[in-house]
Amino acid sequence: MKLKTSTILGALAITGLATSALADAADLQVFDWSGYEDPGFFGAYVEKYGGPPSYTYFGSQEEAFTKLQSGFEADLAHPCSDAVRKWVAADLLQPIDTSKLTNWDKLLPQIKEVDGITIDGTTYMVPFEWGNTGLIYRTDMISGDDISLQLLADPAYQGKIAIPDAASSAYALAALATGVSSYTDMSDEEFQKASDFLRAIHPNVRFYWSDAGQLDQALASGEVEMGWGWNQSELNLIWNETPAVMMRDVNKGIATWVCGYVHLKSSKQPVEQVYDMLNALTSEASGKYIIESWGYAHSNADAFKSADQELIETYGFADVDSFFEGSLFFDAVKPELEAKMLKEFERIKAGF
Amino acid sequence: MATILKSEAGKGIALSAPASLYVGLLVAAPLGILVAYSFWTQTYVEIDRTFTWANYSEAVNDPLVRHLLIRSIAIAGAVTFATVALAYPIAYFIAFRTQKKALWLLLITIPFWSSYLLRVFSWKLILGFNGVMNSALISIGVIQEPLTFLLYNEFAVVLTLAHAWAPFAILPIYVSLQKIDRSLLEAATDLGCNRLERFIRVTLPLTVPGIIASCLIIFIPTVGDYVTPALVGGSQGKMVANLIQVQFGAANNWPLGATLSLMAMVSVGIVAILFVLLATGLGRRIR
Repeated sequence: MKLKTSTILGALAITGLATSALADAADLQVFDWSGYEDPGFFGAYVEKYGGPPSYTYFGSQEEAFTKLQSGFEADLAHPCSDAVRKWVAADLLQPIDTSKLTNWDKLLPQIKEVDGITIDGTTYMVPFEWGNTGLIYRTDMISGDDISLQLLADPAYQGKIAIPDAASSAYALAALATGVSSYTDMSDEEFQKASDFLRAIHPNVRFYWSDAGQLDQALASGEVEMGWGWNQSELNLIWNETPAVMMRDVNKGIATWVCGYVHLKSSKQPVEQVYDMLNALTSEASGKYIIESWGYAHSNADAFKSADQELIETYGFADVDSFFEGSLFFDAVKPELEAKMLKEFERIKAGF
Repeated sequence: MATILKSEAGKGIALSAPASLYVGLLVAAPLGILVAYSFWTQTYVEIDRTFTWANYSEAVNDPLVRHLLIRSIAIAGAVTFATVALAYPIAYFIAFRTQKKALWLLLITIPFWSSYLLRVFSWKLILGFNGVMNSALISIGVIQEPLTFLLYNEFAVVLTLAHAWAPFAILPIYVSLQKIDRSLLEAATDLGCNRLERFIRVTLPLTVPGIIASCLIIFIPTVGDYVTPALVGGSQGKMVANLIQVQFGAANNWPLGATLSLMAMVSVGIVAILFVLLATGLGRRIR
């Protein structure tokens, strides 16, 4: 039955190729965000196995975690670095054997040091794509000189801002705005300051966005004038020809996220096939494709050299080093602090 | 006699067995698990199965929970009132004023042919900042700036839910109106009632069961709705189910989520029972 299902899935994914090769390629199960089934990301895998792997989708990391914990099986999954510690604690992941990764040495050296990629000397995640979370604003409504995170609290912008409905992202914003030394390990006093900041901006919040499209549309229509969001939103606005940019000044505050692929313990496919996929994902060609077509930054350093330099400039990744030196990384927050953040954020959203 | 009763009872049991089994497995068992979870605790990814009242004392003493519960009940109450008040005239029209009953009933169910999410998004398109409503009002010159109170608040939640649940209110009321013996209405007229009195003293009391059914059908599920407030509620329209969802998702605290769910269920149960008692009492009094 299992073989039959995967054959059908494979046949659906790409019609017209030999059935024997299809079953092989589609036996690899990838648990991913929707959209990442784009064959441009793993051309080498398709070439070798004659088809793409099978994809199952999740909408949020929490959803993915809950599903995996209740027994869902796959070979690879695609969380972001901040989730990895929790996934390791729940015994979901196998360590990554970096000697089997042909592109490991070509990956940006700084990205390999991000917390969660490697934990206590063991590598658990192969970094794939990264980008920024920052303040996106309408350049025709707010001037580049005036923009700052503190502007979010300005009473003049009542009902004119939007921030994510996610405690970790909101607290990253608050940490940057209040100058907290360490986002992952705030002192009680710093936590109080960050919470006060979120409380101060609450009256200005039009909505706490739960899907990025909501933010894109509100910024495009002028319903909100600035919002804390992902670089994907900035790109959508650029493509929509809306005068909006992300405040990319590391001194004013910007965060960086890294996502990648993890090898699940429930994996049943041969290790070789799993690593073929990982190698395809991290190749220079995939990197060039994701930078040029998606506007996301890739983990492969060579991809930045071969991709269109003008596009890299437009999408804001010209100075890669500055992000690694100056921006806040979405690292795994200490579990106790995370619980505190979640609890407090619910109160703030309810006006307490 | 006894044997007949016995075999009747036997038949009854046999007939209800599939449903009982289904309900037992898919309602009672999960409910049991929910109750069990509410007495446990969770730290990070580990579940501690020692019995404790900690979740209950935390939830009961938290003003946030109280606030969200009251708000959810108030929003659901407003939805119920709006829906039933709007549904009654339509049901009345179908029952008494039209011959094409089947066509009208079909038209009423048409919204159900599309997904609920799509209907929520359509409301966002209508009420949005540059949505249908604002564009229309600006183009005819009623307003200069888009109205912002249309979307992302409690009003939007009530409006969206009232639209979505309308058929659930219309159908039970329609059935109770349909059942009314028309000769009773004639008798009322013969005895000197005008149309209003006839409605208030005959029609309305006879449809109280339908109204109660509609209210319960709408009130109970809407208290626990979380998609609608998440999408159109903005920063002021969050409900208790959103808090429960966070516990099962991001906060990863299933025991507290279970406790909150049970508290919500109990509150809904109490409000529903009080409502039924009140409504039946009122129904008797007008008669």
